[in-house]
Amino acid sequence: MSTADAKGSPAGERRVVFENVSKFYGEVLGVNRIDLSIPPGITGLVGPNGSGKTTLMNLMVGLIEPTSGRMELVGLPRGRPEGKFRHIGYATQYDAFPRGLTGFELICSLLLVHGYERAAAEALTWRAIERVGLKDAAHRKVAAYSKGMRQRIKLAQAMAHQPSMLVLDEPLNGLDPMARAEVIALFRELAEAGMHVIVSTHILHEVDLIADQVVLLNAGYVVAEGEIGGVRDEMEEEHPIQVLVRCARPSLLASRVFEHDHVVEAKIVEHGGGLLVRTRDADRFYLLLNRVALDEDVGIEGVAPADADVQAVYEYLISSPGGGGGKS
Amino acid sequence: MSETPSPSSSPSSPASPASRWRRQLGAVVRLELKKTFPLRTLLWLLLLALMPVGLFVLRTIGLLINRQPVETGEAMRDMAALFQAFSLRIVIPLACAVMFGSLIRREQLDRSLHFYLLTPLRRELLAAGKYLAALIVAVTLLGASTVACFVLSFAPFSSGAFGRYLASGPGLRHLGAYLLVTVLACVAYGAVFLACGVIWKGPVIPTLVVLGWELIHAWLPHTLQWVSALHYLQPLCPVPISAGLFAMLSSAPSPWLAVPLLLALATASLALAARRTRRLRIRYEED
Repeated sequence: MSTADAKGSPAGERRVVFENVSKFYGEVLGVNRIDLSIPPGITGLVGPNGSGKTTLMNLMVGLIEPTSGRMELVGLPRGRPEGKFRHIGYATQYDAFPRGLTGFELICSLLLVHGYERAAAEALTWRAIERVGLKDAAHRKVAAYSKGMRQRIKLAQAMAHQPSMLVLDEPLNGLDPMARAEVIALFRELAEAGMHVIVSTHILHEVDLIADQVVLLNAGYVVAEGEIGGVRDEMEEEHPIQVLVRCARPSLLASRVFEHDHVVEAKIVEHGGGLLVRTRDADRFYLLLNRVALDEDVGIEGVAPADADVQAVYEYLISSPGGGGGKS
Repeated sequence: MSETPSPSSSPSSPASPASRWRRQLGAVVRLELKKTFPLRTLLWLLLLALMPVGLFVLRTIGLLINRQPVETGEAMRDMAALFQAFSLRIVIPLACAVMFGSLIRREQLDRSLHFYLLTPLRRELLAAGKYLAALIVAVTLLGASTVACFVLSFAPFSSGAFGRYLASGPGLRHLGAYLLVTVLACVAYGAVFLACGVIWKGPVIPTLVVLGWELIHAWLPHTLQWVSALHYLQPLCPVPISAGLFAMLSSAPSPWLAVPLLLALATASLALAARRTRRLRIRYEED
């Protein structure tokens, strides 16, 4: 997902490309020196409040212009920004809607503003409403919807015109577990159909569930990007991975693994039920573990990476000396 | 939630951009009428528009109680005085400020403007569509108010006298002229207040300045009176006020000059509003 990737991307693959893009609001930094090349699929934008996620999304959809740099959106030609909006759907994080409209009226009216004829607009509206599971509530006022229903009607509105790029700001906020599962399944379905689905969140574990790739932001800078596993691998040298091994004889296991230079630390967990190992090379460690399991009776019950999720990666990144100051 | 999305497609394209723009403009107008002017808002605006009617009702009641004889000429003068001193100076500009001034600003504040900005709609069309929707409402409410005032100004007469005034006298021509002035006032003030609402983040003060300027028009030096919409509207009124503070100036422009100048003012204001709307950027501060 780097700029180099973009230049060497497969022919015909449409990417969202940022080249050295910066956005300042007066003297206030929005985002700075962003280089990205995002392939189709689900991409998670992750970062705390104020990290630049919404600025990046607003730049992607053309609501704001960059102060400097170049952007290319899924192969769309440059020119009048309104032309892009046929191909981009955006659901903002804001829980605000035009007053007095039902869910159906909201989507259908905006499709008419797109320029669709009424029959086509109504057909697309029903299709979008059905996809987010709001058919029964379609003719109720949006103001009377629950938070979760409002989230879903925003999603329906963003995708009603069948865009090739869907940008969603905190789309899972307020959804109950069932609705979250349905919406995540919908994201997957859209991504599998070749669409760019770009999702922001500040809840890090969501990204593990949703995204194929991740862009980690802090203080207006991209601090890491790529597939979450790949990002983690890149960091192993600087930040050893932690693996929790549940076993019957952790002290024996500790003595065996500690002989190897890629193991930085081995710590018996409380009550002696397992061993927490920090290693610079996860692959070599797992091979070693297999050998030890065959050679010694350590009674391995389970092995799990203790910090391979986005939360751990993110904490590493923003707490590292370079974190927040530039791309890793 | 199981259908596979089809590739991105554009709306079923009409033959030319012009017809697509017409369709988009119509969609904006209909959406605005539905969401910006719901019944509750219309009732408040109607109350404002009916203020001159209320004054005429009070006048009619007073005349009927006192059994005071009124001549046709006196009724025409009363209508002229009330329309020019109250409707034209206060009610119409104020109603237009309320209706047009917040068309875009309100949606910026409640964070719903991006729904429009994220559609493939030229921003100029957005400004024009909002303006047209508000103009339809303004002309309907204020035009109805003008007609009601006109009818009530002759209420103390027998229906026969009013009928003769309309049928064989200048009644219909006068009514048409009052309606024309009302429409032109809505066109001009509406465009000016729309521009104020787009140009200034806090449009209250500029709006009050415009309203105040129109209100004190009669006290302004003659030269400054030319910089006022009222200066071009008053000569179009069918019955001039010949004396007093609100009397028409002898230097007032002719209708042939007044109408094009009013339309030019409206066009220039709309062009300015459209230009600012084109450059409108939404900033979500909470990022």
